[in-house]
Amino acid sequence: MNKTSWAEPFKIKMVEPLAITTREQRMSAVAKAGYNTFLLPSELVYIDLLTDSGTSAMSDRQWAGLMLGDEAYAGSRNYYHLEDAVKRYYGYQYLVPTHQGRGAENILSRILIKPGDIVPGNMYFTTTKLHQELAGGTFVDIIVDEAHDTTSNFPFKGNVDLAKLERVIGEHGAERIPYVSIATTVNMAGGQPISLANLRALRDLTGRHGIRIIHDMTRVAENAFMIQQLEGGQGGRSVAEIVLEICSLTDGATMSAKKDALVNIGGFLATNEWEVFEEARNMVVVYEGLHTYGGLAGRDMEAMAIGIQESVQDDHIRARVGQVFYLGKKLLEMGIPIVRPVGTHGIFLDARAFLPHLPQTAFPAQALAAELYIDSGVRAMERGIVSAGRDKNTGDHCRPELELVRLTIPRRVYTQAHMDVVAESVQRVHERRNAITGLRMTYEPRYLRFFQARFEPLTP
Amino acid sequence: MKHRTIIEPFRIKSVEPIGLSTEVERTEHLKEAHYNPFLLRSRYVIIDLMTDSGTSAMSAHQWAGMMEGDEAYAGSRSWERLLAEVQDLTGMAHVLPTHQGRAAERILYGHLGGLGKVFISNTHFDTTRANIEFTGAKAIDMPIVEGRDPTAKHPFKGNMDIGALDRLLKEHTGQVGAVILTVTNNSGGGQPVSMANAEGVAGICKRHGVPFLLDCCRIAENSWFVKHREADKERGSYRQIAQRMFSLADGAVMSAKKDALVNMGGFLALRDGTLAEACTNLLIITEGFTTYGGLSGRDMEALAIGLQEVFDPHYLDYRIRSTTFLGEKLHALGVPLMRPIGGHAVYIDAKALYPHIPPSLYPGQALVCELYRLGGIRSVEIGSVMFGTYLPDGSLEPSAMELVRLAIPRRVYTQSHMEYVAETFEEILRTREQVTGFRIIKEPRFLRHFTAHFEPV
Repeated sequence: MNKTSWAEPFKIKMVEPLAITTREQRMSAVAKAGYNTFLLPSELVYIDLLTDSGTSAMSDRQWAGLMLGDEAYAGSRNYYHLEDAVKRYYGYQYLVPTHQGRGAENILSRILIKPGDIVPGNMYFTTTKLHQELAGGTFVDIIVDEAHDTTSNFPFKGNVDLAKLERVIGEHGAERIPYVSIATTVNMAGGQPISLANLRALRDLTGRHGIRIIHDMTRVAENAFMIQQLEGGQGGRSVAEIVLEICSLTDGATMSAKKDALVNIGGFLATNEWEVFEEARNMVVVYEGLHTYGGLAGRDMEAMAIGIQESVQDDHIRARVGQVFYLGKKLLEMGIPIVRPVGTHGIFLDARAFLPHLPQTAFPAQALAAELYIDSGVRAMERGIVSAGRDKNTGDHCRPELELVRLTIPRRVYTQAHMDVVAESVQRVHERRNAITGLRMTYEPRYLRFFQARFEPLTP
Repeated sequence: MKHRTIIEPFRIKSVEPIGLSTEVERTEHLKEAHYNPFLLRSRYVIIDLMTDSGTSAMSAHQWAGMMEGDEAYAGSRSWERLLAEVQDLTGMAHVLPTHQGRAAERILYGHLGGLGKVFISNTHFDTTRANIEFTGAKAIDMPIVEGRDPTAKHPFKGNMDIGALDRLLKEHTGQVGAVILTVTNNSGGGQPVSMANAEGVAGICKRHGVPFLLDCCRIAENSWFVKHREADKERGSYRQIAQRMFSLADGAVMSAKKDALVNMGGFLALRDGTLAEACTNLLIITEGFTTYGGLSGRDMEALAIGLQEVFDPHYLDYRIRSTTFLGEKLHALGVPLMRPIGGHAVYIDAKALYPHIPPSLYPGQALVCELYRLGGIRSVEIGSVMFGTYLPDGSLEPSAMELVRLAIPRRVYTQSHMEYVAETFEEILRTREQVTGFRIIKEPRFLRHFTAHFEPV
């Protein structure tokens, strides 16, 4: 029998009730939240697709692990379990836990980047780029051009354009490049994977110049699944094997375990270099906590160790990505403009194509996210001009080519029926898209403005 | 009948087995950990008195709260519950959740600090001092004279020297980042601060226009002392006493891993909206979004409940009396220690216990190692390893006191565990003359006590 369905390899053990609200309640809530979905209270949200970060449903084994937390300040046994899991499933030698991914980015950027350094990467990510800049570095995008084209069906839009990297090396010199930053998958490009062949070629190139590769590995298992599905010669390998190979092609990693690793809190920094590890171990005490807990409760390290093991299982990943593809296929059939191919952790609505009558300075993606919430209580996230922030030299808006609304699917949380509700709501909003006016920003914070910025509707 | 025995106002709902070991095994473990208990695996520890931070046993109610955690990234209802609880307790409008206390400190002192700035405290704790010095600012300790003398009798040895504070503020006009009152005063022996002293400090700060902050991680324990030792003054509930102390301050940092009875969590509370906004920017960069700050929803839920439970008078009676129980027992044996006994820990005077070991050979480290070797008891040195500094000629400027802290985790150990600790001290007293000091053979640049390697002399 040829199975096309992706039924979950689990049954539900514990549930959390959802609030059902009226359109009037939602209109007043979104106005109160300054038309920023980040500022909505979660109890007024029906289906929360704001992020897949920290929102996973843990397994019964992980919940049992929570009860096995060893809360000793130093040398907790959960730390050693986590260290084993990171070695075994990711292959990195040295581990420093942190309370979440940005804690690891902060420490690693401070250790490796000197003022004036250049950090090439396969597209920016908000917090990653900010930490690189705060350490005095400048991010340079070396992703393939296809990544910026929402209609291209290229399967590995997370790939690095090696010629671009060679030009950056030629221009600045290898000694000014502390590392190349590689994300699996590329979040801002729409959850797009990098291919193994591209990563191998990148390893060759950086190896010749003595440049490190640092791996932003938050969705590495999903990336590995796409390699297994789409890359020639990889179909017979397990996701776990591919994950190990991806990691082996890099020198160190930062991980937000709140994504792939199926936990609600946690992250780490991993490296194969003893000197980097020693420096990180000293620095983590100042920012996070002693190096055997790094700002995490023992129980959360235990849940992470178990989650890592669960996250690389083929059956789990197949159902995970299958659910995202289910929603993507449905929206495509409805003729909704979305980033193609569908990424692994969410659907990215193309707000430029969705609302072609709005200029980018009217924040089309922000407006669309607000509209979707008003329609059905579905909470999405802007990933466009608001998220991109301002140019640190000119002070003008950065104007990213991609103006997207991200519908991120939490792991193991929502059902197929929930996905149907989402699709229908997007369709309804699409039908009345011409009535949507843009927004005006009324409050703008200095850093990472998308989290707290406030807006009001432009009058038509 | 009026009972003399203080029983725990709870029964045990879930247990965690302790692995027992022999002295021979422990001698080996100690060597492998380079004679630094911070590097010991916790499964080799029998009774872990290293810290009362994050080591509490949560209540059934808190565990139930864990199951109700709302893990939404933004606007979680667990956050709303925590926010309401902290606002009610502190009377401060702006609350920033952090993954633990040092992150709240780093954000606030990072903003207020910098080169040329000065911070004054009754005594800065190790991570507080590191956070302040990391920004280039200077940290000055200003406890009352009695606070520096392990044997002096004073009901509020955690108090700040108000006369000296006034002089310092005049001397450093325009340079003072903040005055921080740590309640209770951890480095100074877990000693309480009186309400009168807090009022005095607040008044002086106001006169000089300097922010007055509370490091409030043990404020419930401090409130117990205020009620019982400043009795003519305080008649309200423990919670009301804490609220009154908060009302004096401009802001507060809390490591919730102490008095909020949780394993992870902290917060920063502020009255001033502009300061809060500046801190919020730093919060988002390194901790997390404003409505979770690097905590899971379930941890915020447990924190909100813990802040309620800790002010239960029966709990506080048990907590303070059980710490005193161990302290008085050791005192009766003739162990030199800080008296009166503090709220969360018993502080042994290692200098008096081992007068033959000079501070440069770290008598506190020697006692910490002996306690582990003889009893599998893990404790922490609060002396020249933690606070010593090197002079330009490379010699050690020792700390004023050489203490070893036996911190009692909340609701975790029983009276028989404490009797086992006391019995180990009998052996320590018997063999005190044979004990030798330690030399540091490897150390990092800051906070060296966490990762330094030692060898016996």
